[in-house]
Amino acid sequence: MKKSYYLFNPGRISRRDNSLKFTPVDDLGTEGAPRYIPVESVDNLYTFGSLDANSALYNFLGKEQISVHFFDHYEHYTGSFMPKDFLLSGKVIIAQTEHYSNSSKRLSIASKFIEGAAFNILKNLRYYNNRDKDTSVQIDTISQMAPQISSAKSIEELMGVEGQIRLTYYQAFDLIINDFEMGTRTKQPPSNEINALISFLNMMCYTLCLDMIHHTQLNPTISFLHQPGYRRYSLALDLSEIFKPILVDRLIFSLLNKRQIQTQDFDHQLNSCLLKENGRKKVVKAWDDKLNETIKHRSLGRNVTYKHLIKLECYKLVKHILNIEEYKPFKAWW
Amino acid sequence: MYIILVYDIDQKRVGKMLKLCRRYLNWIQNSVFEGELTEVKLKELLLKAKEIIDPSYDSIIIFSSRQEKWLDKQVVGLEKNNLDNMF
Repeated sequence: MKKSYYLFNPGRISRRDNSLKFTPVDDLGTEGAPRYIPVESVDNLYTFGSLDANSALYNFLGKEQISVHFFDHYEHYTGSFMPKDFLLSGKVIIAQTEHYSNSSKRLSIASKFIEGAAFNILKNLRYYNNRDKDTSVQIDTISQMAPQISSAKSIEELMGVEGQIRLTYYQAFDLIINDFEMGTRTKQPPSNEINALISFLNMMCYTLCLDMIHHTQLNPTISFLHQPGYRRYSLALDLSEIFKPILVDRLIFSLLNKRQIQTQDFDHQLNSCLLKENGRKKVVKAWDDKLNETIKHRSLGRNVTYKHLIKLECYKLVKHILNIEEYKPFKAWW
Repeated sequence: MYIILVYDIDQKRVGKMLKLCRRYLNWIQNSVFEGELTEVKLKELLLKAKEIIDPSYDSIIIFSSRQEKWLDKQVVGLEKNNLDNMF
């Protein structure tokens, strides 16, 4: 299995003997002991620190099909280096565009995303309801809203329902998480620990979805639920809706309730709260472990990792737009 | 498949072997590598290795197990390279 590598330390990465060499550099500019990364085992690179590299290296990474994701100082996703598209399929792109431009076809896919998201959200709430956290109010409210998903007449209406569900869902966060207050959801910048974790992990989830889409014939810019705007890969946003409750939110609950992440892991500034370097490492480690966890897939009858599950979701979407099999969103069954 | 690869190769060719192994596995000690590889990748590695070695003099030994968890690893003294995927 290929692995993701996470680079926190500033340093220089270079091509060496047809493999990769990472040389960490400290604040004074002195180089540390180099580490060799076996290139055949690299899935992709996530760079959080500042990274030196030359075009020869990127040529090499491109040939080896390794993508590099970049994040700025404030943990925002700034972009990716993607190898040349190798899975091209005009047929899929045409079908995908057609499903976008036909409003009823678009609506049916978009509502499936919300349906999946709502289902997984309810799963989370029920789980904690069985564990002495009274989330019954939120469960009732969301269950009542659920029928509106399939009856929505437009994307805007659908987005409205989704917004309401998420709002109710976030209210339950304060009940589920023991020692932290979330209050309301704030981004840009996140105001407290929980918001900081949500922002950070949502972004990780988003890049993961993007990466998985790149391994299929789908075009990441044509989305169904989100407005396919400019300068962003909105299909990744669509897909991440389904997986955020399962991957991101569950991880946040367990990280905080098991005290793996504590107040001192955050950097509190005037009105923002961000993860410290050390905290970020812990979160990324937990995230990476989570992605490699396996579940027994019901229809495939074998164990698959959470990461692979996202790719399977892309395949289902391809099948749907090619009219082979109707798309059913992923619903957690455990 | 989780693999431990050790080799004993004449000085003239050992550099080439080192470079080849670095592409596929993590270096842990002089002439010792370990890491996760698929069966195909292992075949690929061995095919390339056979071009380097002189089979009448050199040897490569591979220990493999289904998964990393079936392997107990103890390090006594200095751990020369840890295999974290976070830098």
